[in-house]
Amino acid sequence: MTETNIIKLRGVEKRYGSFTAATGINLELKEGEFFSLLGPSGCGKTTVLRMIAGFQEPSEGHIEIDGVSMDGVPANKRPTNMVFQSYAIFPHLNVGDNVAYGLRGRVAKPEIEERVAEALEMVELGGLQKRGATELSGGQRQRVALARALIMRPKVLLLDEPLSALDKKLREQMQFEMRNLQQSLGITFVMVTHDQYEAMTMSDRIGVMFQGRLMQVDTPTMLYARPCNREIASFIGEMNILPAAVQNEQAETSMTVDMAAFGKIEIEKNPNVTNRAKNIIVGIRPEQLEISPDKPADYPATLQGTVSNVAFYGENVHYHVKTETFEKPISVSVPNYFHTVDFQRDDKVWLGVQGASVIDLGQDKQ
Amino acid sequence: MSRPSKLTIYAFAYLGFLYLPVLFLPLFSFNSGTIVAFPIKGWTLDWYRKLGEQDALIQALWNSLTVGLIAAVLATSLGLFAARAFVRYRFRGQRASEGLVMLPLVIPGIIVASSMLVLFLFIGLKPSLTSVILGHTFLALPFAVSILKSAFDDFDASLEEASYDLGVGVFETFYRVTLPVVAPGIIASILVTFTVSFDEFVLAFFLSGNQPTLPVYIWGQIRFPAKLPNVLALGSILLLMSVLLLLLAEYFRRRSSSSK
Amino acid sequence: MSAPATLYVGFLVAAPLAILIAYSFWTQTYVTLDKTLTLQNYRDALADPLVRHLLLRSIMIAGAVTAVTVATAYPIAYFIAMKANKKTIWLLLITIPFWSSYLLRVFAWKLILGFNGVMNSALLWMGLIDEPLTFLLYNEFAVVLTLAHAWAPFAILPIYVSLQKIDPSLLEAATDLGNSKFQAFRRVTLPLTIPGIIAACLIIFIPTVGDYVTPSLVGGSDGKMIANLIQVQFGAANNWPLGATLSLMAMLSVGFVAIVLVITGTALGKRIR
Repeated sequence: MTETNIIKLRGVEKRYGSFTAATGINLELKEGEFFSLLGPSGCGKTTVLRMIAGFQEPSEGHIEIDGVSMDGVPANKRPTNMVFQSYAIFPHLNVGDNVAYGLRGRVAKPEIEERVAEALEMVELGGLQKRGATELSGGQRQRVALARALIMRPKVLLLDEPLSALDKKLREQMQFEMRNLQQSLGITFVMVTHDQYEAMTMSDRIGVMFQGRLMQVDTPTMLYARPCNREIASFIGEMNILPAAVQNEQAETSMTVDMAAFGKIEIEKNPNVTNRAKNIIVGIRPEQLEISPDKPADYPATLQGTVSNVAFYGENVHYHVKTETFEKPISVSVPNYFHTVDFQRDDKVWLGVQGASVIDLGQDKQ
Repeated sequence: MSRPSKLTIYAFAYLGFLYLPVLFLPLFSFNSGTIVAFPIKGWTLDWYRKLGEQDALIQALWNSLTVGLIAAVLATSLGLFAARAFVRYRFRGQRASEGLVMLPLVIPGIIVASSMLVLFLFIGLKPSLTSVILGHTFLALPFAVSILKSAFDDFDASLEEASYDLGVGVFETFYRVTLPVVAPGIIASILVTFTVSFDEFVLAFFLSGNQPTLPVYIWGQIRFPAKLPNVLALGSILLLMSVLLLLLAEYFRRRSSSSK
Repeated sequence: MSAPATLYVGFLVAAPLAILIAYSFWTQTYVTLDKTLTLQNYRDALADPLVRHLLLRSIMIAGAVTAVTVATAYPIAYFIAMKANKKTIWLLLITIPFWSSYLLRVFAWKLILGFNGVMNSALLWMGLIDEPLTFLLYNEFAVVLTLAHAWAPFAILPIYVSLQKIDPSLLEAATDLGNSKFQAFRRVTLPLTIPGIIAACLIIFIPTVGDYVTPSLVGGSDGKMIANLIQVQFGAANNWPLGATLSLMAMLSVGFVAIVLVITGTALGKRIR
């Protein structure tokens, strides 16, 4: 498979007066990939999507789609189509006319009918052409919005929080359906979302944005295992963040760090980290910590503490362990194998961690 | 059935108070006696028949229709642009601008009337239907803007974007999306502003000169007791017309906001 | 895009006002307009006991109309917002009479309240009274009654809107915290509807001060208001400069009272705990 870049953003910036919504955005999207822009609300992800769609012009920088510069090209002349957050179903048109909207007057009538039927079939709304726009359920509106965009055969489909208006069950079902649809069509999907699970379950790659900047672009697995800084580490999943001092840095891919009371441990250097220093922070996922009544053997770094909180989640149990050294309690997650909760509040416990579980997060900006 | 609460009884009594005068006009317009008092002498349609014979009345009706229609179209067109801007964009001086447009609602009528009379004469515009049209457009504008604002409120901005996104240009989008979605609001606005102009008296009294509108004509007739039954018949027809227009406007306004 | 509408209204507010102000500093004898600037009109107007009397009475009557209308309309707004099943039908029923010509409605009241009018003749006919009641027409009572009728929807709608916005869980919270229904109304509902009440007061008070039709038709000599005098200056008396001066004075007094109303209203609302 040859990997061509369908979308290129070079040095894109968007300012509104003195407010900078997005800045320094460099991004290359591959043909046929499912890409998500993830970030908290107000981080600029929707602005980036709308600049690709052509609803907003970048203040700086350039956008290319399929090798063609989009400078000055209005939204209606771009090879992209969008699924709006509100779905924007035309209230005065029925389902069939909504889906046919962009083809009217451009394609012959029999072909329109054929393509509408095909598009509705694809989103599992076959035969609902005559249904009124106001008689649709939330899920159906979403499907009509998808069909209306896909019928245009876009090179890139843009999705602005496409699932946020649906309830939890339906949302999970649509996640799988949309992923399947994308894979069978082979079209590039670019989705904006604030939901990390949605981004992780659906995407090939994720770009995480904070305060107008694209901080890391990576696969879901790498984003979880090798976040490039504190913000991403704690935005995606839960993370214990501890201070550490680098002991020797000579080796190419590994280094020894001193994690205060935990002791010294050899860990992998994180290739995504750019700002190296002597005093760094490291992260440990709660599920990668060992918790036991006695000092665990075979763990290079161990620490004693007291259970301060127990939370039973069903599939796993969360403990908060208070230690003398660290200000914040350390969070530990244990899978619920045997339907038991092993520790109670105020129990004395030992924590242990392997070097492979400690993530180098570089120098802390704070 | 449970006993109605005091509040419910009060509500119905209040409704009676609201409708009392409105219902007496039609009632006495069928009275064959010329004095508006109980008991009613007998029933007749004479007063309605005589209406058609009065040339001055027909002329006044014609004046009112002309003024109402032009003022309604002017106020609605101005209101259309204003409402779209108010709902869709955020701009400097927006609050001031919105407040200013609503101002005609709260200025005492006599002051609007006298100051416009002075202004129009100052710029050389003699009292005429033209000056009444200009004045009524001013008075009707707040009604047009508030109706159209609610029409645009219900009109999701992403609908237009979705249309551009599907490859359709600005003008075609206005014609294929904006207009059909807002159309009921526009019709409601025209009906309401027409009614406002059609019923307006004080401004027309000051500005119409020797071309009276219907309310000004009625004002002239009220003073003569002999003409009273005629005025009642005419008033009843006007009441009926206003109510029908309003109900029609209400129907379209509902359609504009239920089509979300 | 709002520019055309704003400019139109702005022009029709600012330009007449400017000319009105100019006129108020000019004088007129018969048909000749003297454009030397003078305060003569203001001096004449302030010295004239009739002007002071009418201005004060206009404000008093408008105040009474506002108080009566808002007080009688509040329960209706409350009923529609909180109790009625078919809110939209009720709102429509309330607004329909308003869409008939104002002139005709006032005229109808004149017919109802008159010496030989509907009310008296009905009462006589039924034998409830022996001779016609005279206090019904041509006085302040008639003016207040007629205007309270005319302004009803303008009071009901803003209060209804502010009642409608109240989250029912607020009242549940008040009850939960030990308030009786009436206490919850006084301490939660009422303060939250103060903006609606103030809006209703302004919307009624301001135009009422300058009302012309009602005092002319049902006011008699006891019910005349400042607008009648202004109309005379522009009409029969043909003294436009004095008319302009009276208009401006009416506007200033209205503005002053309106500001006082807003400030005291807001302050009163804040004192309820």
